[in-house]
Amino acid sequence: MTGPVPGAPGWDPAHPAPGRRTSPRVMLVHTVTFRQARSFVPAMLGLAAAIGSNIDPSPLGIAGLVLLVTVLSLGFAALGWWRFSYADTDSAVVVTRGLLARSVRTVPIDRVRGVEVEAPPLYRLFGLVRLRIDAAAGAVQGSEEELVVDGLRPAEADRLRARLLTRRAAPAPVPGQEPVPGAPGPAPAAGEPEEEFARFDNRWLLYSPLVGSYLAIPFAALGALSRLTDELPDRFTPDLGQPDLSRLPVLLLAVVAALLVVLLGSVIGSAVVNWGFRLVRRGGSLVAARGLLTRRQTELEIDRIRGGTLSEGVGMRLVRAARSSALVTGLGDATRRGQLLPMGPRREAWALLTRLVEDPGALRRHPPAARRRRLVRAIGSGVVVLAAGLVLTATQGWWWVAVLGGVLTVLGVPLGLGRYASLGHVTGERSFSVRSGWLVREQVVLQQRAVVGWQVRQSFSQRRASLATVTACVGAGSGGYACTDMAADEAAAFALASSGRWAGTLTPHP
Amino acid sequence: MSPSPPPPGQQPPPAGARPPVPPGPARTPAWSLSREAVSLWTVQGVLGTVVLVALAAVALLVLPDGAVDVLRWVLPPLVLLEAVLSIGVQPRLRYRVHRWEVTDEAVYTLTGWLSRTWTLVPISRIQTVDVTRGVVQQLFGLASVAVLTASSQGTVRIPHLEAAVAARVADDLARRAELVRDEAT
Repeated sequence: MTGPVPGAPGWDPAHPAPGRRTSPRVMLVHTVTFRQARSFVPAMLGLAAAIGSNIDPSPLGIAGLVLLVTVLSLGFAALGWWRFSYADTDSAVVVTRGLLARSVRTVPIDRVRGVEVEAPPLYRLFGLVRLRIDAAAGAVQGSEEELVVDGLRPAEADRLRARLLTRRAAPAPVPGQEPVPGAPGPAPAAGEPEEEFARFDNRWLLYSPLVGSYLAIPFAALGALSRLTDELPDRFTPDLGQPDLSRLPVLLLAVVAALLVVLLGSVIGSAVVNWGFRLVRRGGSLVAARGLLTRRQTELEIDRIRGGTLSEGVGMRLVRAARSSALVTGLGDATRRGQLLPMGPRREAWALLTRLVEDPGALRRHPPAARRRRLVRAIGSGVVVLAAGLVLTATQGWWWVAVLGGVLTVLGVPLGLGRYASLGHVTGERSFSVRSGWLVREQVVLQQRAVVGWQVRQSFSQRRASLATVTACVGAGSGGYACTDMAADEAAAFALASSGRWAGTLTPHP
Repeated sequence: MSPSPPPPGQQPPPAGARPPVPPGPARTPAWSLSREAVSLWTVQGVLGTVVLVALAAVALLVLPDGAVDVLRWVLPPLVLLEAVLSIGVQPRLRYRVHRWEVTDEAVYTLTGWLSRTWTLVPISRIQTVDVTRGVVQQLFGLASVAVLTASSQGTVRIPHLEAAVAARVADDLARRAELVRDEAT
């Protein structure tokens, strides 16, 4: 399905040959959404204000205005379409764009980290998709590193996607053996068999209210709604009267209604993003598809997966639910792209994770000194408040500060014990794992080859308790995963067993 | 694995010397920093103290009488304590703790003074080697080496080596990283 590529051999990015254009239908999409015209709105508003008083407020005048704006928008959309082109060669993808100022952007294919195919509702109506090419370089972060090819037919998007990811289908180069330059990679993932890794059961959406980020959705929506009603002229807002909140049944009703809105909102919000989540293996990649209105397809290269995380929030632990994501080199903290299972039963999430990274076995607990340390740290702030409260009670009569301190101190006990219960580490044959956290408990399973360094830290108090914190530095995820408060005399052995022979440098002399 | 010989100007500590620090969870790297590091940290401590004294003086002058009388009694001793710690104690303690070593397979450092950090990076995973010379460092003929990997947390920093040693170590590491590099991530 690979068509002839413009100027394929000896392609010179300095003199871009005419590339491919996106589908003309995208003009309609952009006209409707005022994509290009939107940037001219401030200027138009100024203009409108200048001649505003002369506009005929009759229906005919308004219709004329709407027609004018639409035609303008169509014009801008057509210009944008006409001035945008892209070309893909063996080594790079070149995007040329700009209405007046031209910009030519060349991204080497071996710098492409991932491709996302996106189909918002309007695009689906017109049979189009949008392709996002993630080409972040080095430490540079941010969306400006993303290349967007807007409005492709699905077949062409598939071709381009396969082309950009061809390199990924090639077998991993054997260390010490240079890949033959110019050797053609295996055929792109045309009719490659798909293997299903995970299928999301839409009933799992009921877990959404237990996930913090989804719980925030209804609040954001309510905020937007209240802003909108504020903007509306008074004559459009219905007069509902003031409900009498002092009466208990009314108050209860209001609380129940608010709870329902929050619960429903988080489930709906999560459904919009995660509906029909499906993870399949296609060649050397993991492809995740999801979304109710906007369908998204993201792709991960299996070769670059170095490990994964299993996170369980407090609420999710109650119902034995969890979410899992892959740790991929070069992806940084792009959590959405690395997601393996947005939410589901813990068993499923763990099974999925251990399919990609070897299960290192059951976690080992940390010594009792670690429990003491967690407890001291958890009740510490409460004790400080309590002490301050006792002083204030004596001098100012502010007894409530002391009560607050007492409550914090008491609450600190289960918190400290919970935090200790989360701690654990284990080393398997080719992988290892560490776990920590209470509000969100996170277990990280890493391949041993992922470790690019070790950091052993011992604070003054840890030295007295014979504890140490060992951090595995990896070039994926957050960059380092700490095994907090493990026995100091096990630290070097853990590092050696969990990575290469080089970590023997840490072993203390007998 | 036998450590490479220490760079010129770096003698291993004499046999009878007291151990630099009590034994920790990991081996202590073999080599000390340049002796000049103590002077440099002392100068930094003096500079910091001067700034602090100036700030404290301004604070005491500007504050109206009677507003915070406690400060008048508390501030000077605090500043004095800080001066003793940062000039008298910290440079020597730091020098005793700080160690570094380049073995056949890895770069290894121990840093800190109250809490201690051992950092180990295998040469096969080195991505970049940086040598920096700060303004004060140049006065003492010192330079720092930073060894970077694909992980933001896996960076080995060797502060305050003699400039020639730092340059030699950086060259050597960069060359060897090129030879044994595997995937580097």
